[in-house]
Parts: sequence; C-alpha cells; structure tokens
Amino acid sequence: MSTASRTSRQWLLTLPSLTWLAVFFVIPAILVILTAFRPADLQGGVGPGWTLDTLHELNDPAYLPILWRTFSLSAATTLICLVLGLPVAFQMARAGQRLRQVLLLLVIIPFLSNFLIRIFAWKSLLHPEGPLTKLLISLQLIPENAVLLHHSGTVLLVLVYTQLPFAILPLYAAAEKFDLGLLDAARDLGAGPWRAFAKVFVPGVRRGLISAAVMVFVCCLGQYVIPQMVGGASDEMLGSKIAQRVFSDRNLPHASALAGGLMLAVLVPMLIVALWQQFGRKEES
Amino acid sequence: MKRSWLPGFITLGVILFLFAPLVVLVVNSFNASRFGGEWEGFTWMWYEKLWAAGEIWESLWITLKIAISASLATMVLGTLAAYALHRFRSGLQNVHHMLITLPLVMPDILMGMSLLALFVLTGVETGLLTIWIAHVTFCLSFVTMVVLGRLQDFDLTLLDAARDLGATQAQAVKKVLLPLLLPGVLAGGLLAFTLSIDDYVITFFVSGPGTTTLPLRVASMMKTSRSLPVINALSTLLIASTFLVAVCSHRLQRRA
Amino acid sequence: MDDFLVIDHVSKTFGTQRAVDSVSLNVVKGEAFSLLGPSGCGKTTLLRMIAGFERPDSGRILVNGQDITALPPEQRPVNTVFQNYALFPHLSVWENVAFGLRMSRRPREEIRSGVDRMLELVRLSEHARKRPAQLSGGQRQRVAIARALVNRPQVLLLDEPLAALDLKLRQHMLMELNTIHEQVGTTFIYVTHDQGEAMSLSSRIAVMNAGRVEQVDSPAHLYETPRTSFVASFIGDANFFTGTAVEFQHEGYVRVFVDGLGSPLVLSNGTVASNQPLRLMVRPEKISLTLARPSSGERVNAFRGVVEDRAYFGTHTRYRIRAGEHSILAQLQRSRFSGGDIDPARGAEVWMSFHPDEGRVVRLEAAS
Repeated sequence: MSTASRTSRQWLLTLPSLTWLAVFFVIPAILVILTAFRPADLQGGVGPGWTLDTLHELNDPAYLPILWRTFSLSAATTLICLVLGLPVAFQMARAGQRLRQVLLLLVIIPFLSNFLIRIFAWKSLLHPEGPLTKLLISLQLIPENAVLLHHSGTVLLVLVYTQLPFAILPLYAAAEKFDLGLLDAARDLGAGPWRAFAKVFVPGVRRGLISAAVMVFVCCLGQYVIPQMVGGASDEMLGSKIAQRVFSDRNLPHASALAGGLMLAVLVPMLIVALWQQFGRKEES
Repeated sequence: MKRSWLPGFITLGVILFLFAPLVVLVVNSFNASRFGGEWEGFTWMWYEKLWAAGEIWESLWITLKIAISASLATMVLGTLAAYALHRFRSGLQNVHHMLITLPLVMPDILMGMSLLALFVLTGVETGLLTIWIAHVTFCLSFVTMVVLGRLQDFDLTLLDAARDLGATQAQAVKKVLLPLLLPGVLAGGLLAFTLSIDDYVITFFVSGPGTTTLPLRVASMMKTSRSLPVINALSTLLIASTFLVAVCSHRLQRRA
Repeated sequence: MDDFLVIDHVSKTFGTQRAVDSVSLNVVKGEAFSLLGPSGCGKTTLLRMIAGFERPDSGRILVNGQDITALPPEQRPVNTVFQNYALFPHLSVWENVAFGLRMSRRPREEIRSGVDRMLELVRLSEHARKRPAQLSGGQRQRVAIARALVNRPQVLLLDEPLAALDLKLRQHMLMELNTIHEQVGTTFIYVTHDQGEAMSLSSRIAVMNAGRVEQVDSPAHLYETPRTSFVASFIGDANFFTGTAVEFQHEGYVRVFVDGLGSPLVLSNGTVASNQPLRLMVRPEKISLTLARPSSGERVNAFRGVVEDRAYFGTHTRYRIRAGEHSILAQLQRSRFSGGDIDPARGAEVWMSFHPDEGRVVRLEAAS
C-alpha cells in the first residue's frame, strides 16, 4: 500500500468522529469559556459586546463554602469508593471464572440502572415514612423524630452509592491483569496478608486506582441532582449553582463562568494525569 | 496458604449495599402502602395507575426514538473511530484518542452546559434534534472504547490472510473484519442505548418544549409525593429491562 | 535450470533501517527453498514482499516470467501459510478452505470438490464442520496449508510453519510437510529461524543476515563449506580461530598461522592473499581426541590441550578443551570411542587433531 493512499484512508476513517467531537465537544467547551465574558440578556440568552462584569460578580466570598463543600464531598466520596472498591476488585480477580462473571454482572447492573431511580430508591428508603427510618426507630437506634433525609451525610451516602460501580469497574480491569502469584511470592518472602495487599497488590493496580479516582472525583465535582434531591438547603454544590443560574436566574454568562471554572479545574489535573501515564508507559516499554 | 475472608466479606456487603435500595423499591411497587414503611398487602394498583398514565408512555416513546437513533449513529461513528485508532499510529490518532477519552471524564453538567451554550449562540431551537446530538456526543466515546476493546483481540493478520486468498480490501473488511467485530459493535450499541435512556442531566439542558424524555418525566413526578408509588412501578420495569440489557451485552462481549 | 521465482535486487527500508538490502534470488519450479536467518534479518520482510503485503522500494519480483512487483496480494499467484495460521475463527474448517475459491468466484461444484479433495490430502475430512478453535495445533497447521494450496498457487509461502508447535509435533509435521510437497509439487518457500527445520525441509537454503543474503546453497554444502563465519556459526556449532595465511599449497590448501596453535593446514575455500588476516573454522565433531600424538604425519593438524568440561548427551559427548589462549569445543559420537578415540575425563591432557579437509577458511563478512 502506498503512503499516500494510507494517509487518505486514515483521514477518511478518522474524520467522522473527529469532526463530530470537534463541533459538539471542543467548540462548545470553548464557547462556554467565551460566554463568561459576554453580558446576559433578559431572555436567558447572551447580549452583544464583551464584559468582565460576570467575573467580578464571581469574586464573592459566598462562593467559598460552596467550593469547599464541593471539593470535600468529592474527595470523601472518592476515598470511600476506593477503600470499598479495592477489596471488591481483589475478590473478583481471585474468584473462579463463574463467580467472577456473576460478580461482574452484579456490579454492572446498578451501574447501568437509571441514575434517577437509584437516587429515588434512597429517597424513599430514607423518607420519614419510609422503611429504613421506621426500622431504625423500632430498634431505638434513632429518636422518634429523627430525619434521615436532607443532611450533608445523606448527600455523601448517595454520592458513594451512585459512584461505587464507577470505581469498581476500572479497579477490576486492573486487578484482572494483576498476577495474583505475586501475592503468594510476597507471603513466601515473609509479608503478612495486609502488607502483601498494601505493598504488592495496591501498587500493582495503581493505574486502575488512578482512573477510578479521577472518574469518581470528576463526576462528583459536577453533581447537582443528588444535593438537590436528598440534600438540604445548605448542601448546595457548585453544580447546583450552575443549574440554578441556567434554569432559575436564566443567566447564561454567569452559569458559563462557573462552568468554565469547573471545566478548567477538571481538565488541568486530567491532562497532568494523562501526560504522566503516557510518560509512565514509555518508561515501561 | 489461608485466604483472607475479609475481601469476600466486604464484597458481599458492597453488593448488598448496591442492591438493597433497588430491592426495597421493587418490593414497594407491589405494596399497598403509599410510603412503603410497612407492608400493607400485595397490589397491582400502582402498575394499573402507571398503565393509565398516558404522559409516561408518550415520554417513553420519545426516549426510545432518541435512544435507537442515537445508538445506531454511534455504532457507525464509534466503529470507524475504533478502527482508525487501532489501525494507525500517528499524531492524528493521538489527538483523536484524546478527544475520544475526554468526554468520558467530563462531568455531565459541563457537557450539558456547553452544548446548551452552542445551541443558544448558534440560534438552534432545542428539541428532539438537539437531544439526539447530545446523546450521540456522550455515547460516542463509550461505544468507541467497547469496539476498540474487541479490536484489540482481533488479529490483523486475518486481513492479510483474506487478501492473500484473493479478497480485495473491501471484501476482507466485509467477510472477515465485520463478522468478527459485530458482537463488539452490538455490545457498544446496547451500552449507548442504555446510556441514552438513562440520561437526565445532559438531556435536561438541551431539551425543549414537547421533548420530555422518560427521565425528565420521572424527575418532575418525584416532586409530587402523590405519584411516588407509580415511580416504584415504573422503576421496577426499568430495572428489569436494564437487567436484560446487561445480560445480553455481557454475553455479546464474552462471545469469542 | 529455469528460474521460476526471481527476486531481482529487491530493497526495502523502514524509517532508517534497511530491512532488505538489494537481495537477488532465483528459485526453481517445484523446489522447496528456505529463507533462513535470525529474527530481524529481513527474511519476513522479503516474504511479505513476495506475498504483496509490502512494496519493495526498488527491485523486481517475477513469478513464471510475470512481473508481480506492483500487484496487490489478492492478484498474485502466491498464497501464504501464516505463522499463527490466521485461520478465520468465525468460519468452519471447510469454509476456511473454501474462502479463496469463493473469492475467485469458482463454480459451486468446483469449490466443493476442490475443498473436499484438499481436506483429504491433509487428512482433515472428518473435521470439516469444526471451528478452528476446536482443533489442535497440528490440525490448524494443516487447515492453513489446505486453505492456501486449494487455490493452486504457483508459489506457496510458509512463514515459520512449525514455530507454534511443540517439539514432538514439530518433528511429525516436518515429515508431513515433505510429503505434501512431494504430492503437490508446488514451489514451497519456507521462512524460518531454525536451521534444523530449514535443512530438513528444503533442497536449497538462503542464509540471511542484516538484510543481505550471505550464502545460497544445499543444506550439505552450507554445513560443509560455509563461506562466511556467520553461516558457519548459524548452521551447526563451530570453532573459530583468527590467523594469517603463511603458505599456499596445491589443490587449494593453505597453511594458516594461529597464535598458540601453530600452523594448521586447511582448505582455502577460494582466494586468500598471503599474510592476510583470516578466520579458520572447524566443526566440533570433526575433532579427534587421542592420548598420544596421531602419527599420520603432515596431513594431520594436532594440538595438545586440557579437558576443562565434559557433558554427556546420550548420542554424543561434548568436551571443552583449553589450549593456551584457545577454548575448543569437541564432540564425539559414542561409536567413535572404538576407533582409537578416547573419552577423557575432566582435567585430562589430550591430543586434539583434525584432517586438513575438515578445516575451512571463512570470510568475516558477506561479499558486498
């Protein structure tokens, strides 16, 4: 095959998806950042000209607790998901072929189940008239008038619940490739089971660990449905503010400024991780 | 050497944690009690109410239209993309690969927000078309990844073998590559279908009047406690169909 | 000799690496020919150029007088047995074999009889409906051969045909391949890195190294009269000594001064200039071991040494013998112990000797 025809074939195959993503992913992302510098119009659109007003408005100390809450809830969710996900991935990897397929299916089903339904399930479970509340009251574990919904704790619980499969799947993908014989080797060399797990297994699946952490953390950063549905008035996250600016205030530039900030906060660490992994791959090969 | 029971124990706990709320929801869909705090007897009542709720079926129809057309489009786009990524090593493919993976880690709200910005600034009326575009955009990466996984198991010398036996380039693709790739493409399509049906956040941003998809309908129903048990019934049906889809796609991906 | 497959000054460069460097070869019709060399020597690239998967940068490839250099693989009268067989996993054995005939749109009846006949030839008729995954390695190999041969190619290319098989099966398939070759009479071209395979499968071998052909010869000639030190070391074991030619004798013998060993008399193997540094090669099994100095006079080269190591292999025994700076490998067949040879223990002092006809001058590099 000649080089010229090879090159044109490559372009022909690449162009459809490349164009689609350029038009509907890259350009919109750039537009969001640009919109932050446009004035708002009253119909929820964008007015003519350019302005820095939106950025000035963002310089408001009222945003600080929201930022902090967004970050700390995301970090806590990520940590809990990894701590729970690692042993599950390990168990799946060491299970026999049949059990492994069943476990995989059991993780995939909630992963594929409707996001709203999963939140709704918790909402009705934790409802003051719901089964969990009644059960806990009858066991006298909580007082009669306790409210389980609308806490920041509830937000964290449901965040973990929705994100856990996202953590388990990449961890399992890495654990499946991990040579479990290495753990026997570590035990043979005198490591206890905990040390073998921490010093051999965990570093062995670090690539899955990184993708799981990035996946969960980034997904949490943009959440607004969960705090809106199971959280209280003081549990707003950054995503809540963006949605509020778009749908209640109909202020697109303001929402864009918040979204643009979040986008940079997501993409910059992503690029660093991507570069780091690429570098690591070169080193290994 | 004795195997620790702790990972198995945690796994069991995690599986219970993942399924308990869903199980309660399914059970309550047959519970005569409105809030499901106590068992007040078996009933089909909520399913009857669901059956009578015309607006839900209308939403389901809209959702299916979008899901089917979006998954068909992503199967074509994603297969081409995966083939290009697998076949060629170049700067172009590095950029291509980055563009395919970035949407996977983009929070939904940002994708919805940026597509909304695009449509508002270009004056495109939001509606079925904009939802379809959004769905194709976020499904594309998933489908590409699934097909790419399948391609990585594909031995490229099979194409050489077909050419060697007298097949043209096009014949080799049709007779050898596509039949072997088909399970992966179908699994990708099923995943896209599920993701499309499931999506709430992005759809919420780019939907217009008269395009209330099922998740949007569910979200608005969740605001009124009167319809909560009906959501239980609907959720049960959705979970059952998710289960079917998951089993199908699992089978497809495992088939060698 | 009519040249059937002609490779005429073919070169191929990947990036900065010259994979195949102006290679010319002629293969006779019906011959079993091997391209032999270590990995990266260019043999696979050459094969891929004959099959049509790579285009040469320069040079021509002709089959039966037809220039096929520019033809795509599907239009060449050449078929390939791929290294890992590349059987189509979604097709049955029968459909795999029928693939080529279907591509050339042969009539249904011809396809049926052709495939059946070919499956019979490779003794797989009863497995026709199975999928490749249900077959053993040896059976897959035979499907791959049948799938290629059913198209009646003018040249059959076999890329490392035995590499994926275990040792026992390999020896069996070796015989089987020879039988199939005899039955169909097609020109076979093997690519292999295994000298044993090449020697037992083919009537002629081209030894390749670093993109060039070092020597083309029959297996016996390659073994007995290797022209370069690469060929000598790649095919069989060899002892090498560096020395200078000091005295030319009649009938192509030359006396070579080797520091520490004296001046053995060997075959010159072509033109050698006086006082030119050269390399001398002796096969381990050509060396005799005796207690006393052999008495055949001038025509025996003999040296003293001490046995450093001895390893018993059943059919033969190998010795590593130190003589001054030199460490020499000798190998004795069991039966030779009766003919005056001894079986010295470690540390024993022995005489090593070889006949001048068994020592050869080899070139350091291929002729450019």
